[in-house]
Amino acid sequence: MRLVIGGYAQGKLSYVLRTYRLDEGQVVSSEMPEGTNKTVVFNHLHSWVKERILAGGNPERELETMIERWTDCILISDEIGNGIVPLEAGEREYRERLGRMLVEIAKRAESVERVFCGIGQRIK
Amino acid sequence: MMVLVIGGSGSGKSAYGEERICSISGGKKKYYLAAMQVYDGEDQRRVDRHRQQRSGKGFDTIEQAVNIEDALGKMAHGEKTAMLECVSNLTANEMFSETGTVPEAVVEEKIVKGIVRLKKELLHLVVVSNNVFEDGRSYDEGTAAYIRAMGKINGRLAQEADQVVEVVVGIPMVLKGKDYAYC
Repeated sequence: MRLVIGGYAQGKLSYVLRTYRLDEGQVVSSEMPEGTNKTVVFNHLHSWVKERILAGGNPERELETMIERWTDCILISDEIGNGIVPLEAGEREYRERLGRMLVEIAKRAESVERVFCGIGQRIK
Repeated sequence: MMVLVIGGSGSGKSAYGEERICSISGGKKKYYLAAMQVYDGEDQRRVDRHRQQRSGKGFDTIEQAVNIEDALGKMAHGEKTAMLECVSNLTANEMFSETGTVPEAVVEEKIVKGIVRLKKELLHLVVVSNNVFEDGRSYDEGTAAYIRAMGKINGRLAQEADQVVEVVVGIPMVLKGKDYAYC
């Protein structure tokens, strides 16, 4: 499992496809992957987490199940915690839960990369 | 030494700050300076989570929502260390009170002076601050003034600090003072 993070519109997906020589067919966008592809790129992890929270789901546990099945996955998420505390409680919960999930994923990932201006910096 | 730890919401900055102060304090007296004011259940849960996180690590907690240097008067004599959490709360508390909004320059000066006092009196100090700068939104003038004050304060604290560490998804990235050994 690899984790790729960065701000909005920083070229995270293209960076991943380029670096790991993958094609669009291996990418899912904010939804659980299906099929038997060995490698999967889970793009927009943050949007998926938000949707699952809004739907009353348990993104932490659901992601756990996914990771067990697709051991060769690359998770891509926006960094959203670097701002003013939102006024709306749901937004605060989303920000905080995604942050903690990313800390947890980062601990277990074989690599963590932070993409800025399309350039990846390996921080783990 | 003084270490400035900066991170976003849920970045793991607090856990990292604790780890640092525990490793550099070397068994010396350790204080946790809590700047957060509790207004509701959500705040209380955050405080509880932080308490839980640092329980058993030998901290003495001092609640100090404003006038941060006053925490010194509440400490025992002798060599001591502290972790201050967090500058974003302290800044909000100093800036927005029932009596109105304090100008950003006044807040900046007061907080920087207070923390420099702590740095002088303590053997080691870990200061936790927040990255509130990158959500790309426009805010009302009060919040904008708060963000500017936070930017100035972080910048000045970074100058005072021997080491500055940004925590990203729980990973410490040393921005200043790379030659220091850290855990």
